[in-house]
Amino acid sequence: MSGPLDGRMRLTVLGGFLGSGKSTWLRHQLYDGLFKGAFVVVNEAAGTPVDDALLGRSSRLAVLAGGCACCEARGDLIALLRRICDERSGTDSRGDRLQRIVLETSGLADPEPIVEAIRADAVLVHHIVVSEIVVTVDALHALAQLRGEPQGRSQVEVADRLVVTKLDDADEAGLKRLLATLRLVNPGAAISGAIKGSAVALPPFDDAEPVSLSDLAAEADRAPIFATRLAIDRTIDWTAFSVWLSALLHARGDDILRVKGVLRTPAGRLLLQSVRKVVQSPEILPEQPGDCERQDDTVVLIGRGYRGEDLRRSLRYFAGAGRA
Amino acid sequence: MCASCGFPAMPGHWTEAGAADAPDRLRARFRRAQILQSVLPAYGLTAHDGAQVPGIQISTLSGNQTIARDLAELWSAAEQLSGEPVDPLDPRFIGGGEEGR
Repeated sequence: MSGPLDGRMRLTVLGGFLGSGKSTWLRHQLYDGLFKGAFVVVNEAAGTPVDDALLGRSSRLAVLAGGCACCEARGDLIALLRRICDERSGTDSRGDRLQRIVLETSGLADPEPIVEAIRADAVLVHHIVVSEIVVTVDALHALAQLRGEPQGRSQVEVADRLVVTKLDDADEAGLKRLLATLRLVNPGAAISGAIKGSAVALPPFDDAEPVSLSDLAAEADRAPIFATRLAIDRTIDWTAFSVWLSALLHARGDDILRVKGVLRTPAGRLLLQSVRKVVQSPEILPEQPGDCERQDDTVVLIGRGYRGEDLRRSLRYFAGAGRA
Repeated sequence: MCASCGFPAMPGHWTEAGAADAPDRLRARFRRAQILQSVLPAYGLTAHDGAQVPGIQISTLSGNQTIARDLAELWSAAEQLSGEPVDPLDPRFIGGGEEGR
């Protein structure tokens, strides 16, 4: 886990459809010490909070009840996060200063507007950086949710990490089909398994057939999502890349669900990531010798409605602009 | 950083994160202007960044113009002025249409 290199707190957004096991997973991680010392914020769309009872292990906990943090309770979430930042600013930076916030969203929340709201807030942008979007996926019900619930599908699409829960309740063939389908819907996400929050190995699923995406499409004309890996060689400077990507996200931001990569620039190694149209202010990563270099200067775009090769051609055009 | 409140200014637009110091930032502005001058004419627009004042000036051929503080504003302004978004996947930029634009 990377340290707070720029002094900002890391925010883990934990999403997942209703009943997919978010709190159970989080409770186990807190028990295991994964989010040690983190401030846990639980958002419940329902008026009565129950999840905080599950999460008694967290030393610092706040509950936002009565609305979803991605829509009607967004203002409350921002106010709460600002309060946390204020309290942190009053503590000694050399002491036991808060380093991490975990936000458990409601089951109907779309993580994207939450990330956007934090980035757009003039105070929070200085204090908080979203480090990971973890989404829990119910091994039993996820296929039905992907089919019938646009919100459930949207959560899976924007995740950095998918945790398939309730593995003990699923039969192996169905589970493999779900895993293959998740890989198709979000090719960039890491997928792991859990039973009651404990990590469990997943069966190999390379040979499994995914459920047809046309069956899953909430809208009949939606094209399948795929990942494109762009190698950013020396002929593509940061300015050309950023002019290109900013234009691309402006024009095609609804189709480009996720961008993630590490680029070498005069300012250092920049971690770049976006969720749909929202680009987080890039984080400067430490120089690391050895095998990290192979991950550098590569950007992955996940989306639909275009051809991967066209991305490469277009980027080359922008990079070659004004050069003989 | 603001001398009165001690609070740092808003960080720049994400596209400006690649520059380490003032000379880098200046170089990046000129390079940005160079790319825009190559891309925008396809949409009947021109861009100018003299680096004297903050912002990029964007104009239509008929003389309508506006100033954008960063690239996010610039692409919005370009869409408003030309009536369509500047799409990097337009055939003009991927070699599928009029070559050489």
